[in-house]
Amino acid sequence: MTIDLASIEKFLCELATEKVGPIIKSKSGTQKDYDLKTGSRSVDIVTAIDKQVEKLIWESVKTQYPTFKFIGEESYVKGETVITDDPTFIIDPIDGTTNFVHDFPFSCTSLGLTVNKEPVVGVIYNPHINLLVSASKGNGMRVNNKDYDYKSKLESMGSLILNKSVVALQPGSAREGKNFQTKMATYEKLLSCDYGFVHGFRNLGSSAMTMAYIAMGYLDSYWDGGCYSWDVCAGWCILKEVGGRVVGANPGEWSIDVDNRTYLAVRGTINNESDEQTKYITDFWNCVDGHLKYD
Amino acid sequence: MVLTRQVLEEVENTFIELLRSKIGPLVKSHAGTNFCSYDDKANGVDLVTALDKQIESIIKENLTAKYPSFKFIGEETYVKGVTKITNGPTFIVDPIDGTTNFIHGYPYSCTSLGLAEMGKPVVGVVFNPHLNQLFHASKGNGAFLNDQEIKVSKRPLILQKSLIALEGGSERTEGSQGNFDKKMNTYKNLLSESGAFVHGFRSAGSAAMNICYVASGMLDAYWEGGCWAWDVCAGWCILEEAGGIMVGGNCGEWNIPLDRRCYLAIRGGCESMEQKRFAESFWPHVAGELEY
Repeated sequence: MTIDLASIEKFLCELATEKVGPIIKSKSGTQKDYDLKTGSRSVDIVTAIDKQVEKLIWESVKTQYPTFKFIGEESYVKGETVITDDPTFIIDPIDGTTNFVHDFPFSCTSLGLTVNKEPVVGVIYNPHINLLVSASKGNGMRVNNKDYDYKSKLESMGSLILNKSVVALQPGSAREGKNFQTKMATYEKLLSCDYGFVHGFRNLGSSAMTMAYIAMGYLDSYWDGGCYSWDVCAGWCILKEVGGRVVGANPGEWSIDVDNRTYLAVRGTINNESDEQTKYITDFWNCVDGHLKYD
Repeated sequence: MVLTRQVLEEVENTFIELLRSKIGPLVKSHAGTNFCSYDDKANGVDLVTALDKQIESIIKENLTAKYPSFKFIGEETYVKGVTKITNGPTFIVDPIDGTTNFIHGYPYSCTSLGLAEMGKPVVGVVFNPHLNQLFHASKGNGAFLNDQEIKVSKRPLILQKSLIALEGGSERTEGSQGNFDKKMNTYKNLLSESGAFVHGFRSAGSAAMNICYVASGMLDAYWEGGCWAWDVCAGWCILEEAGGIMVGGNCGEWNIPLDRRCYLAIRGGCESMEQKRFAESFWPHVAGELEY
């Protein structure tokens, strides 16, 4: 069976802008009583709105695409939920929930589709700044429904070199143990003039928004562990459409699944030469101090 | 002479007009282009563009023409050890704050125009043309974002539930307990479960933008060492007019001069006693003492 990916992208864009976005924008910052996620730390915030929005999305996509599978952050069951080869919507109703609770204007909805476990449609919408970034496999990338000329952007960005790059980093919600130590030690190495000496790090608190910004050419890379398939699926598809690449956060992880839970996302280069990207990734991995591991 | 509220508001409007009509379009149209033509300033990551210098020149010409008796301090014309902030009215200007963002096209560079009198910020305007965010304030006249008065929503200010702006800074030398090491250790203290365990940190890459986000209540606090008076002057005024406070980044520094170079900005939307308690609970997590 042939799937019309462009049509699904369009459907998800409308779902994001017409239904999900307005809820996110109007409810942002209004949650005074946090719903703590079962077994999670107090900094991992789930709101009732998050759950309601996911239900809305699930009902909408189920009506339109009844045979497709659905994986959402709120309905995920550890050890049970698996990504198969079937067309599967992978959804984060509100990415950047800490931002959402604090009314920091970088929460967004992230809607992705995998086929044969590969991200093939991605839609990310931040209603606070009216930014809609979308793509589907083979169809390029759009910003606010207009084709995005990423080639001109990459041209203006110049070479992809670690010590001339701006890197996105996020500490995540787990703040003890080996993974946290590895993250902090790696940040230090990336910044240090003896190692990575990157131009700087940025953090806006949303994986999906970060990947959208990399695709737009605003950031060079994003290194993280602890996020899930729904945090990265949409961004992964968008990034691939503009010559970007997603590998693992740990050295040597060149080929990973969408639910790998550690990621290094890297922007495209002007000629889409893999050598430049490969060297960047290798240099980056040399700064990884320790090993990220998530169950 | 002390400037009246009316004069301060006039200066504020002059800043707004200058930014909207001249400077904003320049910054926006040039961001993220001609990556290879920048010269390095202090080291490999402190970047200056020709445009930065050009914009400062335009700002200086316009402001000194209208206010010839006011002094002018700009990032690009600053001379270490020579430039001083006096009691007289002084423009304190950063033509492009977030230069690294500007060069990379990351949409969080801005222009920051401040006026200080008696060494205190009394007018501040910060304009991010990429996101069309214009923050402005003058002493006694309130704080605004795109002409909407900033009203920080009332809620508790608790360190463990806070969202804090932190930056990598441009100092990168490891070892010998320099500022870089102290900063990294402070970040660990703030983030870790055995430390403050804050909700999270954010990095926009611009001191002025970070302070404005604290002023508007989107962030709870911003802690930084290494920035200059021009990075903070405008934002400081906006912060205070929105009910926030600025204290020192090192423990116990309740009153600091504009050029202290080490800052902790704390939002409004709560009682002044809560702000003080926040500072007192924050400071123990600062690893050592930042020195500039």
